[in-house]
Amino acid sequence: MSEETKKTIEVRGFLHLDAVFRKKNGSIPLIMELEEPITGTALAEKLEIPWDEVEVIFVNGFVQALDYIIHPGDRVAFLPPGCPGPYRLALGFYGKNQKNEANFKIKRK
Amino acid sequence: MNKFIRVDMTTLKVTTEKVPEKYVGLGGRALTSNFVNDEVKPTCHALGKNNKLIFAPGLLSGTTAPNSGRISVGAKSPLTGTIKESNAGGSFSQKMAKMGIKALVVEGIPADDKFYVIKIDGKRVTIDEAPAEILGGCGNYKAIEVLSGKYGEKVGIALAGPAGEYRLPSANISFKDPEGNIRSAGRGGLGAVMGSKKIKAIVIDDTGAGAVPIAEPEKFRAASKVFAKVILDHPVAGQGLAAFGTNVLVNIMNEAGGLPSKNFTTGRIDWNDNISGETVNATIKERGGDGKVSHGCHAGCVIRCSQWYPDKQGKYITSGFEYETIWGLGADAGIKDLDEIAYIDREMDDIGVDSIETAVAVAAAMEGGLLPWGDGKAVLDAVKQIAVPTPLGRLLGSGTEAIGKACGLFRVPVVKGQSIPAYDPRNVKGIGLTYATTPMGADHTAGYCIANNILSLGGFIDPLKKEGQVDISRFLQIGTASIDSTGCCLFIWFALADSPEGIQALVDMINAQYGLSLSVEEAVVELGKSVLKVERAFNKAAGFTNAHDRLPEFFEYEPCAPHNLVWDFTPEEIDEVYNFEGEEALNS
Repeated sequence: MSEETKKTIEVRGFLHLDAVFRKKNGSIPLIMELEEPITGTALAEKLEIPWDEVEVIFVNGFVQALDYIIHPGDRVAFLPPGCPGPYRLALGFYGKNQKNEANFKIKRK
Repeated sequence: MNKFIRVDMTTLKVTTEKVPEKYVGLGGRALTSNFVNDEVKPTCHALGKNNKLIFAPGLLSGTTAPNSGRISVGAKSPLTGTIKESNAGGSFSQKMAKMGIKALVVEGIPADDKFYVIKIDGKRVTIDEAPAEILGGCGNYKAIEVLSGKYGEKVGIALAGPAGEYRLPSANISFKDPEGNIRSAGRGGLGAVMGSKKIKAIVIDDTGAGAVPIAEPEKFRAASKVFAKVILDHPVAGQGLAAFGTNVLVNIMNEAGGLPSKNFTTGRIDWNDNISGETVNATIKERGGDGKVSHGCHAGCVIRCSQWYPDKQGKYITSGFEYETIWGLGADAGIKDLDEIAYIDREMDDIGVDSIETAVAVAAAMEGGLLPWGDGKAVLDAVKQIAVPTPLGRLLGSGTEAIGKACGLFRVPVVKGQSIPAYDPRNVKGIGLTYATTPMGADHTAGYCIANNILSLGGFIDPLKKEGQVDISRFLQIGTASIDSTGCCLFIWFALADSPEGIQALVDMINAQYGLSLSVEEAVVELGKSVLKVERAFNKAAGFTNAHDRLPEFFEYEPCAPHNLVWDFTPEEIDEVYNFEGEEALNS
């Protein structure tokens, strides 16, 4: 990975966020400049994505909680509630979504 | 449901019996698997006279319970040699249940070479010669039109397509849906069993049938209301499936690195945008016309994960455009054009082949040099040849294992002869245990519904590690065997897993319908275990051992990008999936 690449991150949005990202940025993935590490929650705020619209994030192909630290050079995707099936279990969502505001949509408060 | 109908194709005689006592409390998969284990000789040839084909609605089918219209079909599978249950939507199950038919069994093989149509109505069951115009390569769409014209627009229909007539191991059983399109009991080649018995179609007319009797209607209504609310309130139903269908998983599995691609040589592609659920949704909205983003495969479906995908002029191409089909053709076979995939999907429905088996076979055929990589037009032409059938068509319709042998491949993604679907077991390990051990041959839908508390089990799961995966696979398979017996769509479990009141409501509906007082443990866990036990018993008697509960060897030594992992469960660890705690091990 070059120094140039390390100063950016690749960001994707899935489900309805796919259309939101395309409308705002023209295409997916969005390449964002990033000098310093940032949490998923702070990145969501920067991109004006409400926290309750994100169940988990992917960072470099791994499911993480929304407050996970993202570094320059990372590949990130925001996933709203709505992934079907045992895959939320198999991919590890249940270990990562418990403190998340989006969880109220899944398990009503 | 008190009628048990047997159609003997050797004598062309029909008998309607009272439901045998031991089957009274069973429905769907529980009934088909118990029946096959009881009456089918395990070592029989699946296409010979000793196999039997059984159709059974679920316990809740025909009632107003949401999403309860699945029909189960069972027999010994010509693809896997194991016991098989495959289920589908459409209207067949609800009509059977309303007519009080617990099961329809077809046995024997006629001495002549004619194809027949079985017609069931409120007065009788008849066996007619099939109209010539629906034989010899006639597509399912046309056959449904002809049969609906002859027997009535509102009849339910089960069909063996051209692939079933030719007794190909990938042949499915196609069911007419409420709009006259096609739903499929796809896996395991049950269409070939139907074809071997010379049944082209089964037509069911429920004119005059009343409502399904409910022992405690008020309790049923109350439970049904809770059940529907739990499903509709959940974002998987409300936001995920209704808008994007099952194909919402392309982007998710691709991001996780678990999207098997180029015949299982990598777990991620860079053309996912071309084939994603989000793109399907945007394309349908943009094209309009016949297109529908959301559509139910049977009356009473509140999730509506299906859709109608139109062409550029807005004309209907296909429906039920599922993730596994789009994955198989788009990622595994590398076809980057969504319209080309849609036309191939339509053709597979029309010919009556399992779209998972066929798509994985196509990718293997590409590796074997029979088809050019990623060439949608060549694939469409090859799939059309199944209906002729040419030698290439017969080969494709015989499934991935046959292609692998014909092409001399070692990278053949099957378990017990059935193709592995759209989740790579190296990077999503829990799914691999289910592929390896389910009595059905590799099948993602065999491990869908967890029977125990999902949070206590699921909180620590890491998809790339072994810890906890054996327990999860076991509980998923137990829960699934149970839900498959209710007539409910597996997708209800997305919501029920997060809402204990939903599981209770499901059991309350069964109790209210039959006047029972089953607990969740009895109705879900014990029922599920009992189904798996009879399925394992049949397979054992058919000659299957633990050595068949293994993934193909290449998964052990070919790392899968981007996480570059291999399949590393030992045989002893895999065998623990069916080592039920406190009970006699189900291992062979």
